[in-house]
Amino acid sequence: MTTTALQSEEALLGRIRKQQLIESIDHMSPIYLEGMKRILTVSADTELISAPAYYHAAVHAPSLNAFGSAISIIQDELGHAHIAYRLLRDLGVDTEKLIFEREPLNFKYPYAFDIPLDSWVELIVANAFYDRAGYTLLGDVHQSTTFGPWKRALVKVDKEETFHLRHGEQGMRKLNQDNVGHESLQKAVDWMFLLTVEWFGLPDDLKKHGEQLEYGFKGHSNDELRQIWMSTAVPLCNELQLNVPAYYDETQKKYVVDCPFPAHFDAKAKHWLLEDGPCAWDDVMKRWKARGPMNEEFVGMVQRGKREMLRLLEQEA
Amino acid sequence: MTTATNASKRREALNETRVWHVYARRKYEEPLHEIGNVMADDVELAKVYARSIYDEFSWVEMVIIPRDCIVTVIES
Repeated sequence: MTTTALQSEEALLGRIRKQQLIESIDHMSPIYLEGMKRILTVSADTELISAPAYYHAAVHAPSLNAFGSAISIIQDELGHAHIAYRLLRDLGVDTEKLIFEREPLNFKYPYAFDIPLDSWVELIVANAFYDRAGYTLLGDVHQSTTFGPWKRALVKVDKEETFHLRHGEQGMRKLNQDNVGHESLQKAVDWMFLLTVEWFGLPDDLKKHGEQLEYGFKGHSNDELRQIWMSTAVPLCNELQLNVPAYYDETQKKYVVDCPFPAHFDAKAKHWLLEDGPCAWDDVMKRWKARGPMNEEFVGMVQRGKREMLRLLEQEA
Repeated sequence: MTTATNASKRREALNETRVWHVYARRKYEEPLHEIGNVMADDVELAKVYARSIYDEFSWVEMVIIPRDCIVTVIES
């Protein structure tokens, strides 16, 4: 653990006001450091867990080319995870412990990745929906973050996430050319759309980490980012005549979800229990905290290699 | 030496500790600029990591520099 003396909140905010980027832990205040660790951990965990989650579906690729593209996306995601964990390590975090010794329940990625992608169609929709969410969130960080090393590192991430979501869009257009493809897309969209709407977190009036905007970790609030995501995801689904429970409301000048939301989700059946009506965000938080069906398996896939290597060394000793 | 110390030493041995800054450029007319960093204890592995992680462009040049060799002249 680092023993660097941190700056006062006043000094840090003064630096931000002068539009000087925060370059290292030496420039950070306690609140900035803790907040940055929190947002970077979510980002790193999300990129990391997308690798086993996507691999689970990539094995259903219908051609060698398709398999190659999926594996290339997975490699990109691991690169993005590497960037975020490297930044965390420079902030004094023991990332080896964080990645390889943390309980699966304590990983901080979006709940959607705990639901298995069981087919090529679901992987394609994940590229179009989930990578779009990643692109929306990290594009915002890229533009607005006050942490210089992260801002610069995101040039790579931004470029590659664009490729992933285009892969999803083109894949969806291709699958949509016949009825069977259209129906399987609709089935995937039915459970994946709302999970991605949820991805952006609690609505602004319930959110607790106010420093994310004040300290310039990101530029837009959760609800604004949700709108940005819907502003391209909904038109894509409309173009493909896929039904989604959201539309642009001319009076409110924003996208609105027109089904019970937030709602209970049957993770095993991949089915929203909309007939039960909306639930409270507290119920959603409980579901997120309990994690979903693939949490242990996916984290286990990531942690297995290091455990095996340590066991080997143990035998040699 | 206790078993716990042994285990922790072995764990440490698996963790790479040297940071290498990665610089690259896409065009001959542009200067090298920092694109990220990697961790590796030896230079050959550092080269492999830099190539495989920072593959977002077709670079015309890429170099790596150990962080501990960098001398700051003007601090930001």
